[in-house]
Amino acid sequence: MTDLALSPPLSRPWGRLALRWLLFTLLGVFALFYLMPLFVMVTTSLKSLEEIRTGSLIAFPREVTFEAWKTAWSGACTGIQCEGLRPYFWNSVVLAIPAVLISTFVGAMNGYVIAQWRFRGANLIFSLLLFGCFIPFQVVLLPMARMLGILGLAGSIPGLIFVHVIYGIGFTTLFFRNYYVTIPSELVKAAKVDGAGFFRIFWSIFLPLSLPIVVVTVIWQFTQIWNDFLFGVSFSQAGTQPVTVALNNIVNSTTGVKEYNVDMAAAIIAALPTLIVYVVAGKYFIRGLTAGSVKG
Amino acid sequence: MSPILQGLITIIVGVGGCVGYFFASNWILDKVIFPARNDDHGRNVNRATMVRPWLFLFPAIFALGLYLVYPVIGSFYRSLFNRAGDEFIGLGNYTTMFGEEGFRTAFFNNMLWVLFVPAAATFFGLLVAQLTDKLKWGNIAKSLIFMPMAISFVGASLIWKFVYANDPDIGIINAVRDSMGLDPVDVLQLPFWNNFFIMFILVWIQTGFAMVILSAALRGIPEETVEAAIIDGANPFQVFFKIKVPQIMGTIVVVWTTITILTLKVFDIVYAMTGGNFDTEILPSYMMDFMFRDDGRATAVAFVIMIIVLPVMIWNIRQARKEMN
Repeated sequence: MTDLALSPPLSRPWGRLALRWLLFTLLGVFALFYLMPLFVMVTTSLKSLEEIRTGSLIAFPREVTFEAWKTAWSGACTGIQCEGLRPYFWNSVVLAIPAVLISTFVGAMNGYVIAQWRFRGANLIFSLLLFGCFIPFQVVLLPMARMLGILGLAGSIPGLIFVHVIYGIGFTTLFFRNYYVTIPSELVKAAKVDGAGFFRIFWSIFLPLSLPIVVVTVIWQFTQIWNDFLFGVSFSQAGTQPVTVALNNIVNSTTGVKEYNVDMAAAIIAALPTLIVYVVAGKYFIRGLTAGSVKG
Repeated sequence: MSPILQGLITIIVGVGGCVGYFFASNWILDKVIFPARNDDHGRNVNRATMVRPWLFLFPAIFALGLYLVYPVIGSFYRSLFNRAGDEFIGLGNYTTMFGEEGFRTAFFNNMLWVLFVPAAATFFGLLVAQLTDKLKWGNIAKSLIFMPMAISFVGASLIWKFVYANDPDIGIINAVRDSMGLDPVDVLQLPFWNNFFIMFILVWIQTGFAMVILSAALRGIPEETVEAAIIDGANPFQVFFKIKVPQIMGTIVVVWTTITILTLKVFDIVYAMTGGNFDTEILPSYMMDFMFRDDGRATAVAFVIMIIVLPVMIWNIRQARKEMN
């Protein structure tokens, strides 16, 4: 019966075939469109400058060389200094790790409080947090700069960590809150009856269940902080700049011959940590980004 | 001091400080202020329970208040002063700005961005989500299209800078033109259309985001509705536009608004591509031209951005709250 019912579309095999081909072609064009830039970037970074000059843009490198990568890492010029990306890469590492850990921890505490300990005013705080997630950071730049000056953190890495922690709390809290509301409140009540305190409940019930959301939050925060440019360019000075700012300086510095292979290698190096995270933990990465957008 | 040591110290001070605060405040509350003993036992436990959430949320509220509420008000206040910040000029910064060619260009371009980027990203995302649905290797295609989301805006811009490069040895577009015997053209300097070449970078990045969310929504559609339409003789286009799209309309709107908010904030791309030259300025990059040079003007621009984002933001927040409650 079902075969019969489904027969009308099947009775036009040519139409189906044409549609299928259309679909494949369309997907092929899409893939080309989306992947071509990445492909060209990788191959060009492995070519020598002479080979690039021969105009074989889309071809694989005839001779693979990592010279450009070496230069990008430790010799390329950002303005007057020629130390490559290395010092800035470490700046980003030193900046991202504490900022991620602190904001995740505070987010877990806050999320736990908001999700499980119902109290008056929770809604207001909730709105404030969402506001913090969506606000255009342009509005806070100048007062923040003044604040960092007052705290004596202007232009320093701890200053940048501070900024990233503050503006990360909104997202991390919401991540944990949305995860913790799904934990049955009976569990908490039972623990309370047994005399467990606030921390005890967090420690023995919530924390052991938190691994997935911790991974999502850490990945989200890491990606955000690593890829940040606005705070980096506004609140750092020579020597404390994160890798994104240095990358922009390397590529947009106008002195000397344009070394395309070095520029591309630098772009890859700067993107490598987040790309690795994506490849290794893609599922969590995607979950984080979609959770960050507030699902509909 | 070595950076690693510095980093370690920051971690210890930061995380230790937070843990310390939570533990110490909790301990003081339970043992000193409302000790659970003597005659007041029950009442004290209740009181402590009432105070506790506030105690624990205090750092976050304090931080958000100080660094969110204050800056918004502070920024607006600053925008009412002149360049040096010593003379109150009311809405002077705003009126000068509105009369300026540069601001009007930035504003107009920004409107183009808001119209084009969310629409294009959502459309492509939906298209790919639908095309790869139920396809065996669809997941591979999807994970590749999602990849640009992992790259910073600056990184992505630089990749495209090479695609658009004037030099046919390096720029894909001009390599293609070269092979057809055409002269190279710098697409970033084409009046008006250069905006679209820059916008396309953000579309390239955000398509993956739209695709993932819409793909999940498409999977959530009950099979029966689609089957029923097929039995009634609907063709694939009718199934898509009349059965599927209406059912995921809510998600489409959320994706659209989320990308809209993002679009209004992004300045990295224009900054890295043209630095705002060739009439490609948008408000966030226009603001950065004045940052730390004329703070009155910069905050005024920031406020215009804020006012444009606000309606979309409020809508999104209300939607999110509905979702979560």
